[in-house]
Amino acid sequence: MDFKDYYQALGVERNASDEDIRKAYRKLARKYHPDVSKEPDADRRMREINEANDVLRDKEKRTAYDALADQVAQGRYAGAGPGEGFQPPPGWDEGFEFHRRPGQGPADHAEFSEFFSSLFGAAERRSAERRQYRARGEDHHAAIEIALEDALKGAEREITLRSQELDDQGQAQWKTRTLSVKIPPGVHPGQYIRLAGQGMPGHGGDPAGDLYLEVRIAPHKLYRIEGRDLYMTLPVTPTEAALGAQVKVPTPGGGMVEVTVPRNARNSLKLRLKERGLPGHPPGHLYLLLEIALPPADTEVARKAYEQLAQAAPLNPRQHLGV
Amino acid sequence: MANPSFDTTTLGATHPLRAGELAHACGAEIDWVVQLVEVGIVEVRSPAERPDDWCFHSADLQCALDVRRLERDFGVGLDAAALILDLEHEVRRLKALLTARGLAREI
Repeated sequence: MDFKDYYQALGVERNASDEDIRKAYRKLARKYHPDVSKEPDADRRMREINEANDVLRDKEKRTAYDALADQVAQGRYAGAGPGEGFQPPPGWDEGFEFHRRPGQGPADHAEFSEFFSSLFGAAERRSAERRQYRARGEDHHAAIEIALEDALKGAEREITLRSQELDDQGQAQWKTRTLSVKIPPGVHPGQYIRLAGQGMPGHGGDPAGDLYLEVRIAPHKLYRIEGRDLYMTLPVTPTEAALGAQVKVPTPGGGMVEVTVPRNARNSLKLRLKERGLPGHPPGHLYLLLEIALPPADTEVARKAYEQLAQAAPLNPRQHLGV
Repeated sequence: MANPSFDTTTLGATHPLRAGELAHACGAEIDWVVQLVEVGIVEVRSPAERPDDWCFHSADLQCALDVRRLERDFGVGLDAAALILDLEHEVRRLKALLTARGLAREI
């Protein structure tokens, strides 16, 4: 684990005002937001920016972080040892009481780095314990990526979670646990699987929180998923599109079905195979998007056939352009 | 030793989230969930008098978590958050459509 320079992450000076930090964050968030960014590492950068913003916008966290950064810069604290990377010194946060800002929840920190958790995670929990004698443990959030076939048929997958827990002395310890999770058939992207009691331990005897796993489905070579519906491009020849045809189509479940391509089918025509998408209540559909594949005119016979077609069925596809 | 195996529930019509559970999952209070319903960001799946009895599905949890992030990162109000979520969903839908048609590199 390396020491993170949060000022560098946001591109601001150490003496930046709150307003400077806010402006820098918003500018970078617009640049790296995964929905708009063209940068290849947008996801990673956005996580870094969010984390830096979380610390530097919070007066207490920023003061504590600055003090620690000073120690590191002055060489008064060298870290855990050669090759072991950075570990915060014991008691580095003495005198500070970190808590989440109003509006912040457990999910807000779920994707932050190990560095952040080692600095602020345990302290936030100790603070919560001091403030609330009895409270249900926080819910945890994570994601699980599965194959489309797993979503269709169900599966059992292992996930490894790494989180900090307080030991008997109140010191934060990293713990890794591996869980086997049953994936029920019919899950779809964006759906949540809930594991009761697998979140943070409760305080004062109250129950533990839950673990919510967001289902993500890995890109598939044939099918695109939208909710419970599946989309597939179905190539057809010009002859099949013009005259109509019966064509074989693979279905997500592994079988084949025969589909009727109607006469005079146009490119991008959408055919629906009812309830052949992801199972559920109601089940999704499988949509086939027709794509007319042109035979290459690379032989004399093929060229002649195209010329005969042009004579037999004259067409001006640019008529609407006025040419 | 085999890894512990847990029975799971998939959030949906059979296993919905109560309003209090939705709030807890987002580190919020139930009043905040009531506001989300009023703005139309989440949808009450089984109408009931008392908010405590309202039920929600996975899509509602996803939207609620996204709103929490927008509130935190940009300090936006709920109306603006609702608009941003709608636009985000549309961008993702269109990107998926372009990807399916092999045009992802055009954007």
